[in-house]
Amino acid sequence: MASLRDIRKHISSVKSIKQITYAMKMVAAARIKRAQGAILASRPFAREMDRLIEDLYGELAEGDLPAAGAGALFEERHPGGSLCLVLVTADKGLCGSFNTNLLKAAAAWLRENRGRKVRVVVVGRKGRDFLRRLKGLDMEISHEMVGIFPKAGYVHAQLLSDAILKLYLENPVESVTLIYNEFKSMVSQRIVTDQLLPLKRHILENNAAAKRRSGEFAFEPGKSDLLGALLPRHIGAQLYRTLLESQAAELAARMSAMESASKNASELIDGLTLKMNKTRQAMITTELNEIVSGSEALGG
Amino acid sequence: MEKKHLLLTIVTPEKTVLSDKPVEFVTIPAFGGEMGILPGHASFVVQLKEGVMHYKEGPHKEVFSVLNGFAEIHRDKVLIMAEAAELAKEVNEERARQAYQKASETLAMRGADIDLDSAQASLRRAAVRLKIAEIRKKHKQ
Repeated sequence: MASLRDIRKHISSVKSIKQITYAMKMVAAARIKRAQGAILASRPFAREMDRLIEDLYGELAEGDLPAAGAGALFEERHPGGSLCLVLVTADKGLCGSFNTNLLKAAAAWLRENRGRKVRVVVVGRKGRDFLRRLKGLDMEISHEMVGIFPKAGYVHAQLLSDAILKLYLENPVESVTLIYNEFKSMVSQRIVTDQLLPLKRHILENNAAAKRRSGEFAFEPGKSDLLGALLPRHIGAQLYRTLLESQAAELAARMSAMESASKNASELIDGLTLKMNKTRQAMITTELNEIVSGSEALGG
Repeated sequence: MEKKHLLLTIVTPEKTVLSDKPVEFVTIPAFGGEMGILPGHASFVVQLKEGVMHYKEGPHKEVFSVLNGFAEIHRDKVLIMAEAAELAKEVNEERARQAYQKASETLAMRGADIDLDSAQASLRRAAVRLKIAEIRKKHKQ
């Protein structure tokens, strides 16, 4: 049976753990407000950007597209060649299954594309460390970005999109896939696997509405140049949203994980305190018993 | 007769700077040179280069610095999408210069455990700020 001293030590260590988890929860809770605000603030820009691209795309004649420098981003590429994966994870752990699920999804994706050359662009320390440990795959980490959370800004998204575009335009990469956690609500995150490039698919889907305004606008510089300048920014905006979503999701995951950890610690402390009291009582009873039986033996 | 107004909106990825603000007159740093917009302007989409934009509303004048973006003018609505837009008087040149120096020093050290990405990002941010401050100085004269 554990001695009183052991139990007391155990209680105090659990208490200090609880303090840490509680503090982490409060920090995450304070930060998540700002992260959510950032998501909301980024929406108007992304929306207007998408609309402008749709309009512009509607104005372009079929033949104009390849002429634009942007044509390369739209074209479906021939199957074959390498693939590119963009994985957005967290920098730190202690956020429940946030990273585990992401890494599982990434591993599944890699297994699906086994045997092909994969170039990876990774954001977040956890993902980088995971990918570095992987062996026996034809995989190359082309670009990594760590330590940007929880202060991800548009500049980071720009650096990231520059890296991805460079990779895409200079190498025969068939497609670019994006895996990240989407912020659904304070209690749930969803893993999203999305195709970032080539672009054609996204934009044609909601192109119908754009046609009607045709001919109304004047453009400077030419339409195709304009589109060529717009598209990299569109990708930047999309990546920016991805980073913000992942950031908010990480904070939400950490908040709920730390909350349940604090709760568990409280329960543990309650149980241990009860056990300690019982032990102490038992010791007193035994001692009393000994004294009484001793005096009885002496006095008769 | 009631005066006609333009509705000016400025959005950047990080925030909405202005939203549907009624103004009388706007100039933007268009790709081919400065461009002035009055109510009743033809529909237009134009790429912006870095520079300053002004708007006027009655006696009230404001100067913004914008960086790389696009403007769309349609039915008396002016929409500016820029990578960065700041009130010119809000940019602190001294602070920007310091940040720039610090970031480039960090990059120059290239130690093992230094966060190159964040240094690079702040270098870029500081460069933007400096540019804005420079543009402002140039236009004051």
